Amino acid sequence: MKKGLRVVVVIALVAGLAAAACASDAVTIVDSAGRAVVVPQPVERIASAYGIGTYYVYALGAGNRLVAAWYVGVKSLGQAPASLRAMEPRLDELFSVGDPNVEELAARGADLVVADAAKHAAFAAQMQGIGVPTLLLAPETTQGVVDTTLALGAALGEEAAGRAAQFVSDFWRVFAASEAATRDVPSGERPRVLFVGSSSLQVASGAMYQTQLIEAAGGVSVSEDLVGGWNTVNLEQILVWNPDVVIIPPYGNVTVADLMTSADWQSVRAVQTRRVVRMPRVFAPMDTPLPESLLGVMWLSSVLYPERETFDVRAEAAAFYGTYYGYALSQAEADSFLVP
Amino acid sequence: MSSPRRRLLWLLYALPVGIFFATLLMGRYGGGVGDALRALFSTDTSDVLHSLILRVRLPRALAALLVGANLAASGAVLQGLFRNPLVDARILGVSSGAAFGASLAILLSGSALAVQTGAFAFALLAMACVLAIGWRMGAAPLVLLLVGIAVSALFDSLLGLVKVVADPLSKLPSITYWLLGGLSGASWSTLAPLAALSVLGLGFLVLVRWRLNLLTLGDDEAASLGVRVRPLRAAMVVAASVLIAASVSQAGMIGWIGLVVPHVARAWVGPDHARLLPASAALGAAILLALDTVARTALPSEIPLGILTGLLGVPAFLFLLVGYLRARGAAR
Repeated sequence: MKKGLRVVVVIALVAGLAAAACASDAVTIVDSAGRAVVVPQPVERIASAYGIGTYYVYALGAGNRLVAAWYVGVKSLGQAPASLRAMEPRLDELFSVGDPNVEELAARGADLVVADAAKHAAFAAQMQGIGVPTLLLAPETTQGVVDTTLALGAALGEEAAGRAAQFVSDFWRVFAASEAATRDVPSGERPRVLFVGSSSLQVASGAMYQTQLIEAAGGVSVSEDLVGGWNTVNLEQILVWNPDVVIIPPYGNVTVADLMTSADWQSVRAVQTRRVVRMPRVFAPMDTPLPESLLGVMWLSSVLYPERETFDVRAEAAAFYGTYYGYALSQAEADSFLVP
Repeated sequence: MSSPRRRLLWLLYALPVGIFFATLLMGRYGGGVGDALRALFSTDTSDVLHSLILRVRLPRALAALLVGANLAASGAVLQGLFRNPLVDARILGVSSGAAFGASLAILLSGSALAVQTGAFAFALLAMACVLAIGWRMGAAPLVLLLVGIAVSALFDSLLGLVKVVADPLSKLPSITYWLLGGLSGASWSTLAPLAALSVLGLGFLVLVRWRLNLLTLGDDEAASLGVRVRPLRAAMVVAASVLIAASVSQAGMIGWIGLVVPHVARAWVGPDHARLLPASAALGAAILLALDTVARTALPSEIPLGILTGLLGVPAFLFLLVGYLRARGAAR
């Protein structure tokens, strides 16, 4: 019995040493779906089948390792913002759209795939099945943005991990500064914000990232009690809410002029006080859970509390794009962060 | 011939009128019916509730009346025309065409006018396909039904294609919501084309409602009574399709009204189309207006109207079915 135990211990030791030897050039990442994915190092060819995830890859300095990429909100090359083309000269080669194809990504030699936890579970299983480590990501909250950044950073090597840590500290710094700047404002006096979607009667639910950004910037979402995704409401409900500020996302058909001139909206306080603003956009929409949402908080804070000047958003934006995307904002792009 | 139900006919026509006035006083905004009554007759033009009732509730209530009347009346006509109690707006490909047209318009533009126009244009295109193909094959009811199913399937596939390429961030939620049906987009400007087409379509059907009785006898019998069967049937299909297209382009996909309401009306006034057609229209208008009132007042967010018509329509349909089977069992 004793001898048998000793054999087991020896075997366990040897196995452990072997595993440690292998692990020296592989890391294990727990993704948003709770899967433990072993990612052999170094990662050299990344396919990002997740339009939001792609922007994390760039922010972590690994854009030059992409072999295929999806871009959130860009359904054809013609829709790609000029800024994106300027930042990514290989856009024509990388740009992909629709459902990812396992064989195509394998043919491109991807050694890491980034996928969408909400819809790519089966695809991820297939990629894993042919030996390509695949991370399922779902950054739906501020904590999710942080977790996603750190997980991807760990998967992409030491330099990326360093950038991830830097981003996370920047991210929390902005949240802390924004919170500190508005801590003295009682909840009853916070600006009441309506975040509309791709039509003026679509509004963000309490579960959406937009609501978190509004709260982080010291506002209150008038539609925070709604559940699900985008909710359609009627004009009466908007008049019941009577928001102080209306935010229009940088996608969809709504324009500031539409609402300011619409006869239906004239009784809404935000229209009367001319506090209807559209979010600026450089690469991806800043109301999406991706790195640029850090600027979303700063921009919202300057919209909701223009007199406090908590952030120099214009300078912060220029620094952000320089640091994380190696991209120099044009004069017009920088100015777009100024609140009219 | 005067059953107790026939004598209650006035109630059938009073129903939509009563609901119409009641719904104008109900809504999320304001302090209730008293406030709304005061606001309605207020002369203060800066009164928010006053302008809300006139600018938002009134056109929406009128749109609900028209859409309900159109769907139910065209359902009654199509059921008679095809001598099939299971026929409704979906059967001619009109709904699928409208769904594709609206989604395409949302994808390419997104303005309310584009969506309404796109839905209407493709609804009529689908109908034209069905009639053109069906006519060559003799335009028998069964042929038109089968061609309608094929054309529907074609537009359903195209709709799927639009959904696949639509941007999940901005376009897809709009398409999904549109497909669930609702009147939250109704305004005076969208009401005008709906009203004009409804008057034309309903007017024509009311004028020819006597001849519909002849068509239900079967083609040979109708022809022997001097009816030119094919042109009459085509004209009625066109009129019903225009009504459906105008309604769907305003309100999105709203099921069950066109299928169930004619059956309820038939139980009330009997199978004679001279009575059935106006009765279906009145009942459809009343039911859709009542449901839309729930859709816009019950919760902070709009409840899609297509969901409510399904929730009410399915039990009503099963109830009618049970009654029908019992009656048949008793007759045996």
